[in-house]
Amino acid sequence: MSTEQVFDLSVKASLENLQEVRQYIDRVGSSLGVNEKAMGDLRLVVDEAVTNVIIHGYGDDDDGVVELHMEAEGDSVIIRIRDHAKTFDPSHVNAPELDTALKDRPFGGMGIFLIREMTDEAEFLPLPGGGNEIRLVKRGAIDGQR
Amino acid sequence: MATLNIMIGQEQGNVPVTVLRVEGDIDAATHKDLQDKAAEVIENGATHILLDLGGVDYMGSAGFRAIHAISNMLSDEESSGLSKSPYLKLLNPTDAVARVIKTLGFDVYLDIYQDRNEAVNAF
Repeated sequence: MSTEQVFDLSVKASLENLQEVRQYIDRVGSSLGVNEKAMGDLRLVVDEAVTNVIIHGYGDDDDGVVELHMEAEGDSVIIRIRDHAKTFDPSHVNAPELDTALKDRPFGGMGIFLIREMTDEAEFLPLPGGGNEIRLVKRGAIDGQR
Repeated sequence: MATLNIMIGQEQGNVPVTVLRVEGDIDAATHKDLQDKAAEVIENGATHILLDLGGVDYMGSAGFRAIHAISNMLSDEESSGLSKSPYLKLLNPTDAVARVIKTLGFDVYLDIYQDRNEAVNAF
């Protein structure tokens, strides 16, 4: 089994920090040896998850913080995203209506849909002391590992 | 913070086509810039828009919200059903962006081109 590597990032819950979050994924992903396709998917799903935390979790609370934790386990990458925002239940979010005319298609639901489509596991867990943890697993992300 | 540069060009095909060349990352912090710029050109008379995504390294769902909104701004009663929009087309998305377009089913609504002249003449 390969050596586990752990990294951490803590940013203020502001949309202005999304680029920094994506750069963190790029930086840590590169050092973990994540392949290009998985890197694109991880950049996207983490951006979507953090965007949801900022907009729907913290809302108008400007003091919120989002923490990220990224590690490798064999050929998989596991990312944990923690917040102290209100509990978020994605089961209430409808998937986009892919077979409906765009003009008639409701806005929204795309972020959660992309997270589910582009990861192998996506868990949304309320934390005992308040807040949430999103746990994302992407398998086959690191070439040459099992 | 990511910034978005949007350059406006004009082309004449079968109809006048407004080309919006976007450079930068389109995320939840920047997607309104694109939506607002499109609203501005539509307000000024643009009826057919070619969205050049060749300079966009990253586009998340917020970018698709903007595209959805632009498509709605341009649509009329005739553009119904699942047919491709006659008013909005996409040019030159990166592989990563093209994959998201497909995952979200936007390739059903919007034609995607690699060649600018071909795209302009397709309107």
